[in-house]
Amino acid sequence: MAVVCPVDLDTLQLRREIQSIYARVATDPTGAFHFHRGPAYAESRLGYDGAALAALPPDSTASFAGVANPHRIAPIRAGSTVVDIGCGAGMDLLLAAHAVGPTGRAIGVDMTESMAARARGSARSLGLDHVDVRIGDALSLPIDAESVDTVISNGVLNLTPDKSRAFAEVYRILKPGGEFLYADIVVADELSESLRRNIDLWTG
Amino acid sequence: VAELEPVLTAAGFRAVALRERFDCFGGTSKEKTARAYGVVGVNVYARKPFASGAD
Repeated sequence: MAVVCPVDLDTLQLRREIQSIYARVATDPTGAFHFHRGPAYAESRLGYDGAALAALPPDSTASFAGVANPHRIAPIRAGSTVVDIGCGAGMDLLLAAHAVGPTGRAIGVDMTESMAARARGSARSLGLDHVDVRIGDALSLPIDAESVDTVISNGVLNLTPDKSRAFAEVYRILKPGGEFLYADIVVADELSESLRRNIDLWTG
Repeated sequence: VAELEPVLTAAGFRAVALRERFDCFGGTSKEKTARAYGVVGVNVYARKPFASGAD
């Protein structure tokens, strides 16, 4: 796992590439991508509850591109506040919103406006008034310090050029005793310097 | 995977634990590359201490 970005990686270009790819996933989830998308993948490969996914708007599930399943790590408590970093079209966020219930809060953060718009629309269509979707970056979360019980994230933080800073942000927003249910990809083998500088490999 | 625990611990987290692995690139056009570099999806648990300096 690359912890800190190589100094000469163009992080602005990386950010633009990520936004471009995930905007494309939002508008055309059935297009050609190098990663799986959608609820059938989530159920068959990641162990999501098919019935729970079927109850969500297709707009929120079709663009799902997570890599693991934060909901299997630990239960999210009713009445608690949960933040989903990189919420995308909102599949994990809406599942978390159901878990916390109307007395809790589910806050999604995403840097892609088209994804955030889908998540908001899906929450509205389900009547989930306790869902709030904000535009923001994992390295500078638009969330108050020590205000959150649980942070979830699925396949997002590996895209950030500085994992230590991203984890520090998660730590900052969690209340004491708060839980981080972290789903992501890891690389078992050490990558060469040239591979780590390759933007195409960072984004896919 | 072994590199995750020290990074999360350095950020202040405790009780860091790898819970599950997923073959998230199986069946995609990048399956071969993922296998070559050992890329897998993982579920990881971590908790912020209840009080400063406590576990």
